[in-house]
Amino acid sequence: MTADAYSPSEDDFQFVELEQQVEQISRPSLSYWQDAWIRLKKNTRALISLYIIIGLAFFTLAGPFLWTADPALQDLNQISQMPSFPKQALLVAPYERWQGVVIEDFPAVPDDYLDIIPAPKNLRLSSKATTQRVRLVWDPMHGAGGYGVYRNQHQPESINDLGLPLGTTLAGNEVSYEDRLNLEARDYYYSIVPTDGFDESDTYTTLKVLPVLTITLEEARGRGLTDNGDRVTGDKIRLEFHPFGTDYLGRDMLARLMQGARVSLFIGIVAPLLYVLFGIAYGGCAGYFGGKVDVFLMRFADFVVALPFLLFIILFKIGFGIGPGESGIMPMLIALVLLAWPATARLVRGQVLQIREQGFIEAARLLGAKNHYLILRHIIPNTMGVILVTLTFAVPAAIFTEAFLSFIGMGVAPPTPSWGSMCNEGVKTMLSHPHELIFPALFISITVLAFNLLGDGLTEALDSKMRSKE
Amino acid sequence: MLSYTLKRLLAGVITVWFIATATFIAMHQVPGDPLMNDKAVSAEIRKNLEKKYGLDKPVTQQYFIFMGNMLTGDFGISFTQQNRKVNDIIRDHFPVSATLGIMAIFFATMGGILWGALTAVYRNRWPDILIMFLVILGISVPSFVFAALGQLLLVNINSFFGRSIIPVAGWGTLSHMIMPSLVLGLGTMALLTRLMRSSMLEVVSEDYIRTARAKGLSPLRIFYRHQLRNAILPVITVLGPQIAAITTGGFVVELVFAIPGLGRYFVQAVQQLDYTVIMGTTVFYGAFLVLMVIIVDILYGFIDPRVRLK
Amino acid sequence: MTQPILEVQDLSVEFATYGGNVKAVRGVSFSVNRGETLAIVGESGCGKSVSVQAIMGLIPIPPGKITGGTAKLNGKNILGLDAREANKFRGVEIGMIFQDPMTSLNPTMSIGDQISETLMVHRNVSRKEAFKRAVELLEKTHISEAAKRARQYPFEFSGGMLQRAMIAQSLACSPSLLIADEPTTALDVTIQAQILELMSELQRTEHMSIILITHDLAVVAKMADQVAVMYAGQVVEKGSVDEIFYHSAHPYTLGLKDAMPSNRDDRSKKLTPIDGNPPDLFAPPQGCGYFARCPHSMQLCEKHMPDEFVITSDTGHYSRCWLQHNDSPRVKDLFQARYSHAG
Repeated sequence: MTADAYSPSEDDFQFVELEQQVEQISRPSLSYWQDAWIRLKKNTRALISLYIIIGLAFFTLAGPFLWTADPALQDLNQISQMPSFPKQALLVAPYERWQGVVIEDFPAVPDDYLDIIPAPKNLRLSSKATTQRVRLVWDPMHGAGGYGVYRNQHQPESINDLGLPLGTTLAGNEVSYEDRLNLEARDYYYSIVPTDGFDESDTYTTLKVLPVLTITLEEARGRGLTDNGDRVTGDKIRLEFHPFGTDYLGRDMLARLMQGARVSLFIGIVAPLLYVLFGIAYGGCAGYFGGKVDVFLMRFADFVVALPFLLFIILFKIGFGIGPGESGIMPMLIALVLLAWPATARLVRGQVLQIREQGFIEAARLLGAKNHYLILRHIIPNTMGVILVTLTFAVPAAIFTEAFLSFIGMGVAPPTPSWGSMCNEGVKTMLSHPHELIFPALFISITVLAFNLLGDGLTEALDSKMRSKE
Repeated sequence: MLSYTLKRLLAGVITVWFIATATFIAMHQVPGDPLMNDKAVSAEIRKNLEKKYGLDKPVTQQYFIFMGNMLTGDFGISFTQQNRKVNDIIRDHFPVSATLGIMAIFFATMGGILWGALTAVYRNRWPDILIMFLVILGISVPSFVFAALGQLLLVNINSFFGRSIIPVAGWGTLSHMIMPSLVLGLGTMALLTRLMRSSMLEVVSEDYIRTARAKGLSPLRIFYRHQLRNAILPVITVLGPQIAAITTGGFVVELVFAIPGLGRYFVQAVQQLDYTVIMGTTVFYGAFLVLMVIIVDILYGFIDPRVRLK
Repeated sequence: MTQPILEVQDLSVEFATYGGNVKAVRGVSFSVNRGETLAIVGESGCGKSVSVQAIMGLIPIPPGKITGGTAKLNGKNILGLDAREANKFRGVEIGMIFQDPMTSLNPTMSIGDQISETLMVHRNVSRKEAFKRAVELLEKTHISEAAKRARQYPFEFSGGMLQRAMIAQSLACSPSLLIADEPTTALDVTIQAQILELMSELQRTEHMSIILITHDLAVVAKMADQVAVMYAGQVVEKGSVDEIFYHSAHPYTLGLKDAMPSNRDDRSKKLTPIDGNPPDLFAPPQGCGYFARCPHSMQLCEKHMPDEFVITSDTGHYSRCWLQHNDSPRVKDLFQARYSHAG
């Protein structure tokens, strides 16, 4: 450092009387929890997670009152519907049988064998195509002993790309087909392949068809879609709105997700709450009494830890059994509590042992504090932070376990939905209707993510080591 | 070290006994009757069947027979697949599950250590942020979703090439195994990455790293001779429980990818209430896991001298 | 006066923290002569460890930053070199030992391996040869059964033994300078004496210079040739060990001495602590850092940084205190009184 070029005057050499410095507390005094809360609020990720959890609670508790669709109602007009805006449907009369078209003066069995039977001509619709039925008619071909009918969702590229075989007419003069198989309001490509009665020819004709979304008047009335107004066949009507689409049985996804949330979050929150409470009591006893009690209790906890968790969850669950009409939530809850408590018990025991040895407990004891006072005023408050963090991390673990069990079909019994069982159903139609898997999977992931991030935030906020660092 | 190993093995045997007892008790709580599956069973056949499976004896006697058989390594005969021994079922299907599990553990450990070390080196820079984001995803997305996505990916790859490059389901060749074991190891990999990262960051500020620098070692040498080795230790301690999680977690992957492993067999046995198979597989899995935890602990001792020499 | 082996000029170090920049070292200068021991004394947080770690390039950057100065090792500046350049002198020219031997050695490597590592890296010898030399080094630091001990791990050693091993490790390449950063603080009193003994002995046999960092004046009295007293990131007084003890020229040095027990004092004499705390180095004081705690503070001390007032020019004894100014009152009385008391 450069020398100070200051040349002092005489006054400068006056001695000064310094006031005795008193140690000052520069920071405002905050309780443990106030301090933790302030630090949690600084952690953006944890805060966002907290908001997400609050949002999920709202979705689960208040959702069913705002979105009143029945999660069990099957909307057969809109099966495996992707998320979309409300749809208009045409009111039609109930389905009537159609005897089809048979050309009387044409041979049912081909007169002579042709190498190549020409592709049927004039493939057309006999009446307007609706999602109720599609009726195809075509001209008979010489040499044909029957016709194969195929349906595809894109323009066929070759004879090997005709799509779903719908059926075969068994006579050369039977030149019509009625398709009523899971029709949706989308483009279909129908192909007709003539056969000689046994083998198919290499020729085909394709027709593009767009069925109109329809609903019968009766059904519309029954589902309350007519708004009590007078509606007649041919009118347009608004169908139920499914903002998240429907599942493979036509049930509203949003309503099911809300109901599923109740199951998943119920297990995800109540089970950890119960087993953490049990763990506190168990570990607290072991830690507080020490000695033989401690050894015995903790040895037993070690055994329970060694049980293969998922296998025993399944065993216990079937052990408690699911009666007819039961959802299977309770057995799962009990199984989880029975198996998951030792981790908390170990943690609490360790904490109690640690705190028991600390000076302030000794000081309180010397001041005449009784056991119950020590436990209530000193030991429990000092373990609360760790316990809260454990609880936060236990929630995603329990949600995962429920989802896992439901996914392999060992969880809640249908028709009760849970996010896990919805995934189980969704995975089957994953390729054609991915939304049935994506939505429940997204809900599981976001919930687990939020709780994990909140847990991380809490760990940091409650860590007294971090406290002194700032 | 030897006495430690023996002590652990003895404790392991007692634990397996506890597992077997718990399994027995749980199974005898199950409502219904394994013989009810075949609807019309005459009283006589029923009696014979009960005799065959020893169900006519009192529960305590059944327990001792069960434990006795278990000691000789005999898990009995399947209820639903007449005359098929549970031992045979385990022998046929466990190797598949074990292969899957070992590959998954391998992927998870290698990946976890690698990514964890990488994030610590690039702390707070983009590789760290990217990997930690993926880790959070890996921890938050259930394994069956990964399994489904993995299958979807394979479908797309295959349709892109126009032929089956990697099989979407089934078992047999190495190409069958890659995707399921990756999917199975993903969650554990995420967990280990996280652990490795924090462990690396903790080790960096240790005094002996400063000593190594004062000795004039190159940063690379400090990294692999001093930092990595010490940072891996806590990762190895959690490997035992993680092996347990992966082997039982294999159920889902086996279901989704149609792999003929023991996990899938167990689920099937539970659905059919096949008593002996359920009990046999549970006890077998339990014993296997206890053994794995012991092995990992002993291995740990070889890596950490502080444990080895105590 | 011989050519100094290490000469530090105006070294300044800062640390960036959330609360702002901490000016941990503010223009520190000292030098070490060949074969001599320089002791740097001061209380915790005065910047003594940071100074030497900065010279060794051990300060993590960021948050640390060397904001100025030079450190010349045999005439060549070594301050702020990158790792590759720094490794040419670290462990070779300068060896270093640390405060806590328990945590300063790698727990998962055997002692012998850690010592031979230095040799393998710098001297390019085989693993076997290096290990043999490591055993010799352990013998040199009086570790019995050195060959067996070399295969053991740090947790199998006691604290004193570990510090011996640390010394053996730092001596591996026969450095000309040993920096000992509070080498005895973490040890028992009896072990402390043994370690200091060992260091003196090795200094003689190896012809080393030593920079000894400590807060213990007893250690200084025993070991040092030259002493630099540091306070609030500055050297406030520097001189030979006799000058510092018997002709103290800074109130802080006097304060330190009054706070130290001595077997020559009669028992009725009380130890006098220095009241208050060192200044906040987030915002270092404009004037003398010791102003707020000094029993002789004057008007100008608060606002004006005192110069290095030379007390004895041929030994380089100086004090950073306005009391040494010619116009300063009563200065003779004050320090005279102290001389007679201490002497």
